Amino acid sequence: MPHIEIDGQSIEVAAGTTIMEAAESLGIYIPFFCYHPKLSVAANCRMCLVDVEKAPKPLPACATPVADGMKIATASRKAKMAQQGVLEFLLINHPLDCPICDQGGECPLQDITMGFANPHSHYQEEKRVVEDKDIGPLITTEMTRCIQCTRCVRFGQEIGGIKELGATGRGEHMAIGTYVAKAVQSELSGNMIDLCPVGALTSKPFRYKARSWELKHTPGICPHCSTGCNTDVQSLGKEVLRVLPRNHEAVNEQWICDKGRYAYTGLNAPDRVTQPLLRKADGEWAEVSWAEALEATLAGLEKLLARHGADKLAGLISGQSSNEELFLFQALLRGLGSPHLDHRLHQQDFRADAAMPLYPALNMTLEELEREPLIVLCHAFTRHQQPLTNHRLRKAVLNGGKVVSIDSIHQDFNFPVTQLVAEAGADSHLYQHLAEHFAHLHEAPQNDPLAVLARELAAADNPLILIGSALLHHPQAADLLAQVESIAELAGGRIGWLAEEANSAGAWLSGCVPQRGPGGHPLDAAGLPADAYWEAEMQGFILFGVEPGVDSMRGAEAVQRLANAEFVLSISHFAQEARQYADVILPMAAFAEGSGSYVNNEGRLQSFRAAVKLPGEARPGWKILRVLGDSLKLPDFQYSELSEVSAAWQHAVGDYGMDIPPFQAFPPIHAAQALPAGPLLRLGDWPIYQGDPLVRRAAPLHNPLRARMHPQQAHQSGIQGDVVEVSTAAGKVTLALELDTHIPLGCIWVPLGYSETAVLGAAYTPCSVVMAALPERQTKSLRAS
Amino acid sequence: MLSEKSLEAIAFERSKYPPEESRSALLAALRIAQEEQGYLRDEVITYVANLLDLPPIQAFEVATFYTMYDLKPVGRHKFCVCGSVSCFLNGSDRMIRHLSERLGIGLGETTEDGLFTLQEVECLGACKDAPMLQLGDRYYENLTPESLDALIAELRGGSTDVR
Repeated sequence: MPHIEIDGQSIEVAAGTTIMEAAESLGIYIPFFCYHPKLSVAANCRMCLVDVEKAPKPLPACATPVADGMKIATASRKAKMAQQGVLEFLLINHPLDCPICDQGGECPLQDITMGFANPHSHYQEEKRVVEDKDIGPLITTEMTRCIQCTRCVRFGQEIGGIKELGATGRGEHMAIGTYVAKAVQSELSGNMIDLCPVGALTSKPFRYKARSWELKHTPGICPHCSTGCNTDVQSLGKEVLRVLPRNHEAVNEQWICDKGRYAYTGLNAPDRVTQPLLRKADGEWAEVSWAEALEATLAGLEKLLARHGADKLAGLISGQSSNEELFLFQALLRGLGSPHLDHRLHQQDFRADAAMPLYPALNMTLEELEREPLIVLCHAFTRHQQPLTNHRLRKAVLNGGKVVSIDSIHQDFNFPVTQLVAEAGADSHLYQHLAEHFAHLHEAPQNDPLAVLARELAAADNPLILIGSALLHHPQAADLLAQVESIAELAGGRIGWLAEEANSAGAWLSGCVPQRGPGGHPLDAAGLPADAYWEAEMQGFILFGVEPGVDSMRGAEAVQRLANAEFVLSISHFAQEARQYADVILPMAAFAEGSGSYVNNEGRLQSFRAAVKLPGEARPGWKILRVLGDSLKLPDFQYSELSEVSAAWQHAVGDYGMDIPPFQAFPPIHAAQALPAGPLLRLGDWPIYQGDPLVRRAAPLHNPLRARMHPQQAHQSGIQGDVVEVSTAAGKVTLALELDTHIPLGCIWVPLGYSETAVLGAAYTPCSVVMAALPERQTKSLRAS
Repeated sequence: MLSEKSLEAIAFERSKYPPEESRSALLAALRIAQEEQGYLRDEVITYVANLLDLPPIQAFEVATFYTMYDLKPVGRHKFCVCGSVSCFLNGSDRMIRHLSERLGIGLGETTEDGLFTLQEVECLGACKDAPMLQLGDRYYENLTPESLDALIAELRGGSTDVR
């Protein structure tokens, strides 16, 4: 191990360590722009030049490995002259627009100039000007400020997995940009803003909103997927102005995805509720006081219970709710005598409920995921569902691992994945064939990808099989789960679950499923699951943070049932949908406004605090539930502090392992539930930016609604234009069509999570498709996009 | 988009490198495409990138870096005048000004008759006979305004074999 000396301090470091890393471990600061510990070394900014004894020229600390006996000076005359020279050159073309630059105050170029530059410049000539690029609604470019460190380019290639930005031109004409002007596609693109050491890439929604030093920082947990990324919520007064990643090496390293970064822009949507709303006798909505709203709620619930009994009352809660809210919600419903409560609005097949594990657990840490040699994804498109978990999978592949995906359509992964795609809806056959191949591993033909996978699974030591949320959304979910389980057994592998929502794990643990109480204790009298409420003609509903019209599989049916129900209480952030059917709307704290805790996919308990004051009369969700429980004279609702609820939750849930038993044996399913036949099969799932009420309202993330179909299928179905009318047994809708070879023949992909497509009902149902003309409103919005 | 012959030539270049190093063949592939098409349109660059399974931006970076690739149509004769240190010290900027006046075009422009394009390039490794320019496959060295005039006259006269 080489012994070196930096600024008179000696240290012994591992061979191959760079001077930069060695200095860092000694706490010696060397200025830099292009160096980044998570990216490859480019050594093109030259800011980190240091004076190495016996070296004729100063050397870049980031790219110079130490050698035994090296004596390095970071502040000698030679090093200082080099640093001053580099800065003078970098500043030649950098504009002096700090007062109007969003990076001002958190700008490495500003800081390092203050610390290391010579105050005088020799440069008298004109500065260069670089044309700005339009790279989409998330990132503003001011390319004249760019110092060509290429961090953004390297990020795209090395972390984002798609090379979209590049350095074009040469010498003085070098500029960063996309090939043709277009929005960057990476779901991690916002991280390039954090990486940019100058103000060349800044956040578009945050532009000119505040100076960085005015902002209050509050540690948060991202509520948009089960990875549980740690965030730094930055606010000014009552407004959340931006969300940045907070370093947590074991969870999100130092990244967050664009969903987590920009979803806050939906907080001030026009339909945000900040005052209790009550539907008057004439059907009009009135803003009322909390006392009046609570009185109406209690009267409504009591009347409902008296007339129909608790068996006609159902509760639906969002998987984004905190543990405390989930715990109180189930206590409220069960206290009132109703067993019908659920958080799984996306699901339609619940036959496997009894066999489900304690909670959907990854069964390993995210860091361990990086070292898995063979991973099979079962209906999991992690790139859009859990972007930062996907980043770990990508690293597993870069480390020499292999990822195989089994799905209903081809997906755009950002790393090499072997994809096995079912023929139109025959997902069950795919898993069945895979299982069958285990019986005769050596006879199977080489060119059959399923046989190859079976052989690889059999040969692998304890391969990992991950179950994605789309598998649970499938109408044959129970059959598929049983098949996946038997494959895992045949392969001698482990099963992990990719939980769908930020607190899916917490919802299971807190007992927000109809068949289990807190701590996963099975209940004697199980209630009905979410999808059954519409047919069961429930008369009363308590909704908590959900919009069943777009959040449930059969949206139109849900809205109809809710509208016909006798009493609907919606505890919500947004009113647009609830106004169609609710009787009382109680305004609840949204993202960054409330405190609580989540359990992420690994089983990690993480808490967050409110960053901003509540808007208007909105109240934290747990307080609303507590007041309701207390007013209804239910036992155990006498909490005055959140910490008391947390303690009660902790006590009820007890200890739960990070590693749960892989599977309880699934009941053998004798007759697989067949899919009904039709001319075409309608596939669909919730797209990345349609999954919850907040992100649906985040304007910069908005994706235009499009159906997708294979060009060959469009040809066969006689479709020429780019507009189609899709009809299922439930209803029909006219949509823009995109030809896409990712969709198998015999299918059309129509996303869920849009109010427009709710009329079509559940996914994986037969449908027919004909050419059509687009309604005026949609034509406009498409043109605008 | 490209002829069979060019595609074969690109495939041959591709075969010289390991499968995962397709970008090594990028320089040659772009050259082959330019030889056939005269210059590299955006669509041609994308096409070549797709042939080699590379992100289009990567091909674009290379095509914009080297002055030998033309991103817009050029004249029949392209004067590539070296403007690097040795040539500059020996008067390359005077040569460029002279050519610019004689041809009536600025750097990066093409004469209306489509005969000449003027371009400044980086060092071509002929410093001992600076200033110099490249025309087609040939170097012309120790340039003077007179030798440039003679060269233009010869090219205007239709000669392809100029010295």
